[in-house]
Amino acid sequence: MPIKVDYVVRETTSNLGRNISITLASVLTVAVSLALVGASLMLRTGVQNATQRWQGGIEFVVYMNVGANQDQIDAMARELGDSPEVKSFKYFDQQASYEEFKRLFSDSPEMIDSVRAEDLPPSYRVEPVNKDADSVESLASTFEQRPGVKQVVLASQTIRLIQNLSRALTLGIFVVAAILLGAAGLLILNTIRMAMFARRREIEVMKLVGATNWFIRVPFMLEGLVQGLIGALLAIGALALFQPFFEGWLPNPQEIPLVSGFTVSTASLLGIYVLLGVVGALVGTIGAGVAVTRFLDV
Amino acid sequence: MITLQNVTKTYKNSTVALRDANVEIAKGEFVFLVGASGSGKSTFIRLLNKEETPEKGHIYVAGKDIGQLSSWKVPFLRRNIGCVFQDFKLLPTKTVFENVAFALEVIGRPRSVVQTQVPAILDLVGLGHKAANFPDELSGGEQQRVSVARAFVNRPLILLADEPTGNLDPATSVGIMRLLDRINKTGTTVVMATHDRGIVDTMRRRVIELDRGSIVRDQARGVYE
Repeated sequence: MPIKVDYVVRETTSNLGRNISITLASVLTVAVSLALVGASLMLRTGVQNATQRWQGGIEFVVYMNVGANQDQIDAMARELGDSPEVKSFKYFDQQASYEEFKRLFSDSPEMIDSVRAEDLPPSYRVEPVNKDADSVESLASTFEQRPGVKQVVLASQTIRLIQNLSRALTLGIFVVAAILLGAAGLLILNTIRMAMFARRREIEVMKLVGATNWFIRVPFMLEGLVQGLIGALLAIGALALFQPFFEGWLPNPQEIPLVSGFTVSTASLLGIYVLLGVVGALVGTIGAGVAVTRFLDV
Repeated sequence: MITLQNVTKTYKNSTVALRDANVEIAKGEFVFLVGASGSGKSTFIRLLNKEETPEKGHIYVAGKDIGQLSSWKVPFLRRNIGCVFQDFKLLPTKTVFENVAFALEVIGRPRSVVQTQVPAILDLVGLGHKAANFPDELSGGEQQRVSVARAFVNRPLILLADEPTGNLDPATSVGIMRLLDRINKTGTTVVMATHDRGIVDTMRRRVIELDRGSIVRDQARGVYE
């Protein structure tokens, strides 16, 4: 049986209007929790981008000269491979470095235009066996004087600090957001329950004259979905407004060595927004779905 | 049209609402269910549209064993059964027209059907001129007519009425009974639970008497007691 669109729209909007205060409460709770999720995801992406080179236990990077010849590069690979103190290492040739550069600066095309792959030095990213600061430093310095090496750069305490901080912060925010999302789901469940109570006579008549279960359920399910989606839209709007400030508040990358900008690319922003929308819709639908199956008794 | 075979219904508090009932009701019959309060009349009616399920026995409605009916099919069973209640169950926020139209809209009937069927049925029950009124602007008898109109607008095979005249004065009750009789004459099977001695004795239709869940009398052209 086709469910009439105009009927569903009419019922859903009148239900939303009937319990405007509790509807607002659930919408705002969804919005706040999703905004928190979004902000922590943005923070995490920003930190990841800024510390890209320093993930997976990489403690120092050996930059070769831009003009280093293949023999020098191969010699360095052999030496790193033979050293018992090196756990693993990864070679980034000029093209790979350029790809990474493009990704990091995807928001500033003028930067990408001004740099060609040939301008970037090839490098080895090294993970030592012993990560104690002193031994890392002495190991790194042994490669400093090899032919063709331009510079050896160590991950600083600052980077480790930023990474740990962001990890803890992300986790903390996620826990709070998860609790808030649960509360939002329960609020939506209660809104739907009240809407069903307000319409109990109609529901009774609908059952009597043979309306199908889904016909009775759909407006309530949609009500929950709409609440979740509006909450998500508010969160996305807030994040979009807040995003320029977010990037401004973070420390200027020039003040912290070895860190590229705390940028969040448009693509990952869009990804975050889509995720928030999906989560909002899910919370709304699940809340309403539980209410409908538990309390509708059809 | 309706068959009950050894139907027993016990409620959770171990009240026996219906005990080993065997009834056969043919198409187009008019049947009164009589008996004291709590004798099982309402349970009998609620079993027929599957608001309750029997504990034992089989119930056939329009050739189908409704005990075997999966829950998603129950709405389609109910489209063949109109229901009228003592308390009318009209929606106070909707007009007379909308109340009747509602029954068609929620089972997905197209607007064109609603626009033709609702005025026709309101004329049948004599309320064509009150279509735009709200239920609380009508008398009890008029409200019950609206409720009958709603039950019958989809032309069901069966009309179940649970004390439809319970809230009405005798003169008004006669009007409702004329209406039900008229609906019965169109071939609709009518099952009506009632306490109204006068109505049962005047109409002289089949009477099934229940006493504490058991059928104690099943009499063609019967009287109240």
